[in-house]
Amino acid sequence: MIENTKCECGHQNPVDTVLCEACGKPLVEIADKELLEMRYDGVARRSQRKNPNLLDRIWGFFSSVKVAVYLIIITLCVAMLGTLYPQENTFIGLDPAQYYEENHGTLGKIYYMLGFSRTYESWWFIGLLFLLGTSLVVCSLDRVIPLYRALKRQQVRKHTQFLERQKVVYKDKLFDAHDEKVKEREMEWLEQFANILRKKFYKVQVENSALMAEKYRFSRWGPYVIHIGLIIFLVAALLRTVIPGWYMDEYISIMEGDIKQIPGTNYYLKNEKFTVEFYEQDELSPAQREEGRIIPKLFETRAVLYECVRHCDDESLEEPVLIERLRHDIRVNEPLEYDGIMAYQFDYEFTPQLRSIRVELKDHTTGESFGFFDLETDNPAESYTVGPYELTLIHYYPDFGYENGKPVTKSSKPNAPAYVFSITGPGVEDGAVHMYFPRPEDKVRFAQDRINEAAGSPFLIEAAGMEDVEFALYTTFLNIRVDKGMPLVWVGAVIGMIGLVMGTYWQHRRIWVRFDEGQLLLGAHTNKNWYGLRQEIAKALAGLDIRIDPKSLINEVKRS
Amino acid sequence: MIMMKKNRRLIQVLILSTVVVITAITIAGNLFSEKDELPTEGSKAPNFALRTLDGGHHQLKDFEGHPVIINFWGTFCEPCVNEMPLIQSYYETYKDQGLVVLGINLNEAEATVRAFVREHGITFPILMDNDRIRRNYGVMYYPTTFFVGPDGVIQDIFIGELKDSTLSVRVNRLLSSNG
Repeated sequence: MIENTKCECGHQNPVDTVLCEACGKPLVEIADKELLEMRYDGVARRSQRKNPNLLDRIWGFFSSVKVAVYLIIITLCVAMLGTLYPQENTFIGLDPAQYYEENHGTLGKIYYMLGFSRTYESWWFIGLLFLLGTSLVVCSLDRVIPLYRALKRQQVRKHTQFLERQKVVYKDKLFDAHDEKVKEREMEWLEQFANILRKKFYKVQVENSALMAEKYRFSRWGPYVIHIGLIIFLVAALLRTVIPGWYMDEYISIMEGDIKQIPGTNYYLKNEKFTVEFYEQDELSPAQREEGRIIPKLFETRAVLYECVRHCDDESLEEPVLIERLRHDIRVNEPLEYDGIMAYQFDYEFTPQLRSIRVELKDHTTGESFGFFDLETDNPAESYTVGPYELTLIHYYPDFGYENGKPVTKSSKPNAPAYVFSITGPGVEDGAVHMYFPRPEDKVRFAQDRINEAAGSPFLIEAAGMEDVEFALYTTFLNIRVDKGMPLVWVGAVIGMIGLVMGTYWQHRRIWVRFDEGQLLLGAHTNKNWYGLRQEIAKALAGLDIRIDPKSLINEVKRS
Repeated sequence: MIMMKKNRRLIQVLILSTVVVITAITIAGNLFSEKDELPTEGSKAPNFALRTLDGGHHQLKDFEGHPVIINFWGTFCEPCVNEMPLIQSYYETYKDQGLVVLGINLNEAEATVRAFVREHGITFPILMDNDRIRRNYGVMYYPTTFFVGPDGVIQDIFIGELKDSTLSVRVNRLLSSNG
């Protein structure tokens, strides 16, 4: 059976319309003298339809505010659960299967088994966010479009019942119905009233002994603008996890003079020099001084960012070709920024290490100098020419020591470098073996001079002084962050803010007036600040010599 | 009015199906993306290209069809040093049957490696890595040895010092799969 949804004014309304879209007459039975429900201007939501099919039911589900509220509550609760214990993705080198049980007992084990240790990456959490997003979109569309249409085609002359049941009502017998010029007087009054309202920024229409004044309709769109902002926000958050390279939060350590690839990118970072400044003794508090604490004042990584342009992949034999892109001194809160990559100063460590040393080859007995040469500790060259002599590096131990009486290197770090040369030239045609320890303590510990004496080396290799030694003192720890979703997050936040301001600081006010044979009937509606609306109407009426107390405009009838 | 209804239906279907598709992509992406997929037993050994100590170069791909032993080692690592003569002897015994041994050095100075190779009489190729391949292969402990079949699939990963018994089982298995 088709329900008759035609209003007496002749307008055909959609099913479930509460108030006629045209004249505002209530279409559903409401108790006598009850105030009207003005939500969404009484229009039917899109999802309200007869004989819904599956699509309509799904749409209807998402369009329900009740469902939306439950979704928000569930999402909040789950998000809260995710904060109970540390999340797996914050672990570095920890086995999550053991961690939770060891640190949080049985509860921790259950937590881990239920998958809360990866709450924010889990399919059900992302699924919930999507349900929420869908609900947001559908709820908004379902209401905003009918509301927009209803507000667009408002009739000036509203039904008496519509006006009488507003929260703000004023009735007055202004003109005698038997007056021949009653129509003209009514129109004249309305025009005057319209002019007063126009000065208060109302848009006014007058026709057929009726008036409609309206202002700040845009504030009705505030909530929907907020929703648009929220959806952009949500999309940004999701894109971060979906698109590779949009989000990164990693830590890398670079020793002074070293260059390292930023994982997952084509960029390399070099730590040219690390400097740290400490507070002077007189800058510290007495308590700190007593504890003998050393507090850094400033630490800074002189960093260079390179981009790899050729031979960048792992299967390439050639050394990667790097081009310098940016130099920046990274300090706390002064990160290096390039192409969305940010490198923050995070920490440092004192890790002194010999990098290179300039040495002199001499005759052991006469002290005659044959020349200088440079020794690296990382990957030393294997042959050197010094004066008339040829030196071949036949052994290099970065971390010299003895194991079962045999010389070995204990690690690949140059903690105690030792060089063994075979030197050929005038007087040593068959080659002399000479051992050299750059660090004075190693020279003594491993008895360098006695070894060379035993080997019969006529040479002496030594560094001239400290200025000939290059040290790497510090290792810097940098936090590398990429968050390409951030601009979108900002856009969403700004749009949301605009919507909030629209809906908060303005109110949609409407005033309707109709005359019936000299009888004035005024009704008014706003979505908030009723006090302000009544004041405004009382003032406007005062302009036409109708002096009333604003409070008297409150409709006497009560809501049930 | 009918046109409008059709449009409305279309928009509803569009919105709902877009949501379903994006949800599916996101969740599937999250479920199946193993960010740093490290080679495991049964997976294909990632290819690499490295320079050798004597100035040449090798790619893993070049040895497809051969059983390959990839040994990550360093002179500073005692068990690596201990197992070297054993690996060398297996190499000498089985190289005629197609066995390839690649010793990947863990970022040491060439002088250090050269002296070691000379002193221990190592004849299989020594490849000089700068931590890239080590990281790709997820090698954390030394020595680590990968046994790669002729099909390029990792048959076994052995962490620690190889003994004659452990090595012979694996080499036999490698060679028997050499059809």
